[in-house]
Amino acid sequence: MSEEKVMNNVAESEVMYDDAALAAEYLEKRKKQHEEDFAKPYDPECILEVRHLRKCFPMKKTMTGKVTKELVAVDDVSFKLHAGETLGIVGESGCGKTTAGRAILKLHQPTGGQIIFNGKDITNYTPKQMREIRKEMQIIFQDPYSSLPPRDTVGGLLSEPVLVHKLVPKDQIRNYVLKLMDECGLRDYYFERYPHEFSGGQRQRICIARALSVNPKLVICDEPVSALDVSIQAQIINLLKKLQRERNMAYVFISHDLSVVKFISDKILVMYLGAVMEFGTKEDIFRNPMHPYTKALFSAVPNPDPTMKMDRIKLQGDIPSPANPPKGCRFHTRCPYAKEVCKHVTPEYKEYENGHFAACHLLNEEQ
Amino acid sequence: MAEKKNKNYLSGKEIKAIAKANAKRIKELEKYKNRKAEESEFLAEMKNPDNILEIEDLHTFFYTEQGVVKAVNGVSYDVPRHSVVGVVGESGCGKSVTSMSVMRLIQGPAGQIDSGSIRFQAKDYRRDSKGEPMRDENGELIVEEKIYDIAKMPINEIHRIRGKQVAMIFQEPMTSLNPVFTIGQQLDEVTMIHVPGATKEMAKQKSCEMLRLVGIIPENVYGHYPHELSGGMRQRVMIAMALAAEPRLIIADEPTTALDVTIQAQILDLLQDIKNKIDGSILLITHDLGVIAEMADYVVVMYAGKVIEKGTVFEIFQDPKHPYTIGLQKSKPTMTLDDSTELYNIPGNVPNPTNMPNQCYFKERCAMCIHKCSGDYPGMVQVSPTHFVSCHLYSEEA
Repeated sequence: MSEEKVMNNVAESEVMYDDAALAAEYLEKRKKQHEEDFAKPYDPECILEVRHLRKCFPMKKTMTGKVTKELVAVDDVSFKLHAGETLGIVGESGCGKTTAGRAILKLHQPTGGQIIFNGKDITNYTPKQMREIRKEMQIIFQDPYSSLPPRDTVGGLLSEPVLVHKLVPKDQIRNYVLKLMDECGLRDYYFERYPHEFSGGQRQRICIARALSVNPKLVICDEPVSALDVSIQAQIINLLKKLQRERNMAYVFISHDLSVVKFISDKILVMYLGAVMEFGTKEDIFRNPMHPYTKALFSAVPNPDPTMKMDRIKLQGDIPSPANPPKGCRFHTRCPYAKEVCKHVTPEYKEYENGHFAACHLLNEEQ
Repeated sequence: MAEKKNKNYLSGKEIKAIAKANAKRIKELEKYKNRKAEESEFLAEMKNPDNILEIEDLHTFFYTEQGVVKAVNGVSYDVPRHSVVGVVGESGCGKSVTSMSVMRLIQGPAGQIDSGSIRFQAKDYRRDSKGEPMRDENGELIVEEKIYDIAKMPINEIHRIRGKQVAMIFQEPMTSLNPVFTIGQQLDEVTMIHVPGATKEMAKQKSCEMLRLVGIIPENVYGHYPHELSGGMRQRVMIAMALAAEPRLIIADEPTTALDVTIQAQILDLLQDIKNKIDGSILLITHDLGVIAEMADYVVVMYAGKVIEKGTVFEIFQDPKHPYTIGLQKSKPTMTLDDSTELYNIPGNVPNPTNMPNQCYFKERCAMCIHKCSGDYPGMVQVSPTHFVSCHLYSEEA
């Protein structure tokens, strides 16, 4: 990674300190840390490794096109994902979970950080180079109504990726697609039909079939069940789990619904205003949530059992605007345990248990 | 007629016949809706005086070009005083159309209340023969208890109830506030319309009081426009607006669906809090079983335009009877669920609403079917004083 990229990764605009001297020290430390991490060898067992991923969107530009103000949508996201595993990304709206998913696929060019897919650093790949890799990484979108082309038959839109990537000879495409449709629970006579003839659940099955048509190793599921009814939601979740077992794919499952994420994921990443609050295996996170935000998020989920009345950790106020995040710890404006230090110093994101990371000042004090 | 090749397509002849039949029926119903009527015509009696709202055998149909969509097909349920009734069901099951019927907000001419009655215990002014509020010797308005049948009311009398006695909180706070007026103007309007002889100062005072009730400092939002507020704040303003006329019944139609979990928890707390503060009931419509379990005292489960089960919240969640209710609860992943197993799912889809089978609508998807299920649509069976279920498994002969 070039010198310039690293510089970019810790731009001045994101300094979260009040004090200038502290800020400079923090920046220096962070830059050094990132450089060290980027130089590390790639983990050969991982299908996807993300290091300090960062994505900014320009908000204000001068007349010459120089960006004067930036919105940091994703700030310093790191994780490793093995084949056949699912990473769940949870968070409220505007926390950058979708942007993170898209940046991994390079649908947005990341501003900084490293994305290592299948042992290759794809961060600075050109679109032409990406095309080769596209067949190994796919995405399923939230809204099955707007993500299918209305003028194409189901058969047509499922064979197109196969045709483009030349996976099977032309005369076998039909059989290949029919087999795929059968796997995804679609009847063979749907081949000639158009997307508008289907209900939401069936359309989501078509979207899944389309993503799987090129045998991907990684699928980003961007809220695939949020637009569906409960009974249909269960069908789709089961289908996703079944296909994962059969094909040994890795999923990045983005959702705001904690109960769904818990059901499908192996690892969970909790995000708030673009930054990672907590990361760990599902067992660790649910057994011992460390960050106050994770705790509050879990306790806010309504429980479908009228006999259990939970003690809620109530969060006051609204999520601050991502364009103008609070200084210090981003969560301090709503945190019920916030201290003076939280208002000024950004907490360090570090490992507290084996494979269980969090960013909170309170955890340091306990130790 | 020879058997049709594809049931999904209609011939030109059929479309014409449907259009003709629709036009005839719509004309009849529109005439009934726009008639002038004496008050005595739409006064009714409550079956149980403890209820604030009784919906009985309500049919709300949409007369579309593809045929009649029976969105609400014989729905009956009650809302007792000082309680929260939760209506739960999947999209398209008619839960919102029922509540829109109560407000008489069904979009005509295609949508019409076909038959049935909606009895509502209102607290209205005594009115003279022209419908104007009457005053006593001291110039005070005379308030009395009246029971209106909302389904029979002419549309130009509906303002006695809509917005005043029954208020509604909609799903999308973004689209239900007017973007060109300030929050203050929109809140004041409620008082100005519903309180005879209200002044601007009175209205402003009332609006500020309501904003404080929903946990907003009035100075912060009164002069602001809706786009300046966040989603949670807008929903609070919507609740304040619903409360401004001191309604007896608040219909909350998916009030938290568009919000994040932490904000949802805040709004649900607020609704609970408000229910205790005002003298009224809440009709909560949602597809989220968790929200229902937390908020409701009574639960109504709907499927394809019919009520399939109703009872207290404990009966529905601890001893569900209808296979659909059981399936719905099992298919929702929860925080405490063992996730190594496969999630239970109800196979198939909801049947086509224009062409409902003449048997139990859930039969095709049901795992507990018996021989009798091929017969007529099952009636309501009472399994406990408050628990009713519409399923052949529990009828006496089975």
